[in-house]
Amino acid sequence: MAVQPEVEKKGFMSSVLGLVDDTFTRVTAGISPGEVRRMLRGEAPGRPNPRLKPHTEAFLLHIKPTYYHESVTRFTHTFRLGLLSTYLFLFETITGLILMVWYTPSPNQAYVDMIRLLSNVPFGQFMRDLHRIGAELMVAIVTLHMVRTYLTGSYKAPRQFTWFTGVILLVLTLFLSFSGYLLPWDQLAYWAVTIGTSMAEAVPPAIVGETVNLLARGAPDIGANGLLRFYLLHVLFLPLILFLFFFVHYYKVVHFGISLPANEEEVGQDTANRIPADRRVYFLPDVLMDETVFIIGFSAIMVLAVAFFFSAPLESIANPQSTPLHTVAPWYFYWLQGMLKIADKMIAGVILPGILLVLLIAIPYLDRNPSRRAKDRRVAIISGVIAGVVMIILSWMGTPQYAVSAAPAVEVVQELMPEEGAGAIREAGYAHVPVGVFDSRVPVEEQTTDEEWRAIVEEFSASIAHFDGIDPEFNNAWGTITVTQDQPSLRRILWEIHWVDSEGVEENFKRFFFLHEDSLYWEQYGLKDFRWLTETQEGE
Amino acid sequence: MKRPWYNFIYVRSPIAKILLGGAALLLTLALFGFTFIIEEPRMEAQTNSWTGRSIEKGAEIFANNCTSCHGVDGKGLPGVAPALHSHYFFTQRLTDLGYAGSLHDYVAGTVAAGRPSKAISQWAQIMPTWGVNYGGPLRNDQVQDVTAFVMNWEQDALQQTAEEDPWQPFQDAKTTDISGTMALPPSAPADGEARAPQDLFTVMGCQGCHNLEQDQTADNRGAIAPNLGNLDTEAGNMVAGQDALTYVINSITHPNDFIVEGYAAGIMPQNFPDRMSAEEIANLAQWLLDQAAAN
Ligand code: HEC
Ligand code: HEC
Ligand code: HEM
Ligand code: HEM
Repeated sequence: MAVQPEVEKKGFMSSVLGLVDDTFTRVTAGISPGEVRRMLRGEAPGRPNPRLKPHTEAFLLHIKPTYYHESVTRFTHTFRLGLLSTYLFLFETITGLILMVWYTPSPNQAYVDMIRLLSNVPFGQFMRDLHRIGAELMVAIVTLHMVRTYLTGSYKAPRQFTWFTGVILLVLTLFLSFSGYLLPWDQLAYWAVTIGTSMAEAVPPAIVGETVNLLARGAPDIGANGLLRFYLLHVLFLPLILFLFFFVHYYKVVHFGISLPANEEEVGQDTANRIPADRRVYFLPDVLMDETVFIIGFSAIMVLAVAFFFSAPLESIANPQSTPLHTVAPWYFYWLQGMLKIADKMIAGVILPGILLVLLIAIPYLDRNPSRRAKDRRVAIISGVIAGVVMIILSWMGTPQYAVSAAPAVEVVQELMPEEGAGAIREAGYAHVPVGVFDSRVPVEEQTTDEEWRAIVEEFSASIAHFDGIDPEFNNAWGTITVTQDQPSLRRILWEIHWVDSEGVEENFKRFFFLHEDSLYWEQYGLKDFRWLTETQEGE
Repeated sequence: MKRPWYNFIYVRSPIAKILLGGAALLLTLALFGFTFIIEEPRMEAQTNSWTGRSIEKGAEIFANNCTSCHGVDGKGLPGVAPALHSHYFFTQRLTDLGYAGSLHDYVAGTVAAGRPSKAISQWAQIMPTWGVNYGGPLRNDQVQDVTAFVMNWEQDALQQTAEEDPWQPFQDAKTTDISGTMALPPSAPADGEARAPQDLFTVMGCQGCHNLEQDQTADNRGAIAPNLGNLDTEAGNMVAGQDALTYVINSITHPNDFIVEGYAAGIMPQNFPDRMSAEEIANLAQWLLDQAAAN
């Protein structure tokens, strides 16, 4: 035995310790426990610097720079938005892979699988919510990262190509969230994606548009083929391309070094890679520590949001035969929806976004100003701000609040009890919807004692009065809500609205919905409702 | 170097960083724990919720497709279609049929595939095929929804007393003795106040056989019973000596006195005089004529 003479020579304890030391150093790819202790105490590295070893030994670290310029490690320089984008992409990949376990990309199964995921899989809803919030945050963070590199002028020479790959990454991110959006196969998903892909149809000439549309949908309408294609795009094709472009992007970032704050170098120079010895901050341990703590903190916030403030929506199963009133795109496409309201599909859906994309890519070549300092870049910064404001205005126009299109009576009902989604009544729930007839012309206090229901009836009356005031076709309007018990634990809510049009003809609108005692409806954002927690316990 | 005003947000001390990271990690773990603890009740609430939503959807489908034959409350229409909201249906029906599966499957199967028409049926209507797999209009999930809705009558139906059970025994199935549970169609209300004709038209099952919107012409004949859309012009010419109103009243009280050409005697129920007061029948007849005239 080879061990025995060793132990005899050094004694048992110290040979075990030596072994532990050795293993540790191998796992950390070159950092000994002693070095870790020195790191924690904040002491300088020994010479030759053992903390550089992992960068050459370890695969995962070989891509990271060994040291940074002190100025670019400050939080307010990059806001770590690039790091966050990267993290969120990995995060989405992991949660997405977990969701794949329960998901079947077929119209017959997808929606059923979503319900099963929510009601039968431990942590199922949690995972779905995490994936969803991660997706929305990723779009937001990647955009902000772009804004930051724009504002610091980091797209200027020599980083034009970095910017170009960045734009590609942005487009891929948007396509990823768009393709993922269809997967739950509910009305929300189906119609948002139907409208989205129909823009492809508007690509001129017609034959190209139709072909693109057909390729994406797999048939004239989205069906089994379309879902499968979107699924494959979402879980395989787009992530692979994104990975590829990420590595190109990040290689360029490391290659040129992160651009210094503009006022720390001469105009027209790029000194990012010439870091004086006294301004170096080593990745190990300082930057690693910052990044780790930052990501743990960010994850904690995401988990907190998912636990209390965010739940991915799930509406009725996709129904190609019925378009719900006010179909909405996800918020990051509101601007597109807003443009579609004021221009036709070809202009707003194809030409303008196309121009926008070309402009984005061309920014480094259009902006010939060599200076990255804000005070020399008034034109660039002002046009950036204007572009941002225009986006926000367009987004606002994309929300249903802007340009109400349906008849007043329909809108009144839609407001309180939309065809799809929650609305005040469903959120109040069965217990707060008492059986009876409630009339908008009678003071609410005389009709009900339930606080929540009273607020709803009041809103009903107010909303009728509101439309009565603004719509000349809608006069002397009044309405009733009739709640009947149709089955045990099932109530029918009948809406009747009567009005007189401008020619004095009496009109009315009727619509009914059902509400079951156990059904839970939720909004995507906002404090979660944990009523069921107490109710099930009382029931037992 | 000059420090910027927001200098305070930079955390420099490694101890502070480790503490912050540790706190965030603990928070994450605590939230995981919280989620874990409430998982059981959450999954239960979600399960119930989706059943509830399915019943809501089913209720809407039933209201839009089934009430014309099975009645608004599912209690059937005499002579038109059987009751589903019935004590007998939930307790005895499968035994009498000798069906081995569950009632849920029986309902889902019947709804999806329909019932082939029998040569002679006691029902004026046939149960249509609904499921898309059998050529009907409803998707599979919708068949499940409407089934969930029908099954949700159970609790209520089990509380029906023998007199309340609206069941009409099937002539082609063995019937366990349910004496006293024979169809008791709604009769005239005790307080004597006349019911509205448009309600009677549904409650009495007229609309299950008659179409009030369409005209009865040589090339547009009602399949089961004459369309009533042009009753106002036709009724006066049917029987010599009877004006329109008399004819309609008589058709309701004594359907077999005069059989409209091409239809069989004995299909239209003959017990309407027992179930409606004379006043109600007269109102109903007048209303039918008015509706036809308004067409
Ligand atoms: C056109 C009239 C008609 C419509 C509409 C109709 N049914 Fe029926 N249904 C019938 C008739 C008639 C029967 C009896 C068939 C037989 O056995 O001869 C029946 C039988 C049934 C049965 C089996 C009852 C038993 O005891 O065997 C069920 C369940 C049922 N229907 C459910 C539905 C549902 C749910 C709908 C709506 C989607 C519906 N029906 C719509 C006429 C109709
Ligand atoms: C089970 C099916 C059925 C039901 C239910 C039914 N009828 Fe009829 N009805 C018929 C048939 C079949 C005829 C044609 C044969 C006849 O004249 O008796 C008819 C004939 C009539 C006629 C004469 C039509 C004409 O064109 O001359 C009137 C009026 C009428 N029904 C009214 C009613 C009213 C009102 C009710 C409801 C209270 C009702 N029916 C319920 C089957 C039905
Ligand atoms: C999935 C999307 C993206 C990922 C994962 C990503 C990742 C990164 C990372 C990690 C950095 C390092 C520095 C930093 O954090 O700022 C970086 C820098 C950079 N990114 Fe991105 N990025 C993405 C999208 C974009 C987009 C949309 C643009 C612009 C259109 C862009 C342009 C740049 C530029 C110009 C730099 C260099 C910044 C400098 O040197 O100061 N990136 N990117
Ligand atoms: C490789 C990486 C990914 C995989 C394997 C993956 C997988 C999945 C799966 C299986 C679903 C369906 C489950 C569901 O709808 O809840 C889904 C949904 C979704 N994904 Fe991804 N995903 C990945 C990356 C991304 C990224 C990067 C984004 C966004 C930038 C994204 C955005 C979405 C969205 C918005 C949904 C719909 C969420 C919902 O309604 O619950 N995914 N993804």
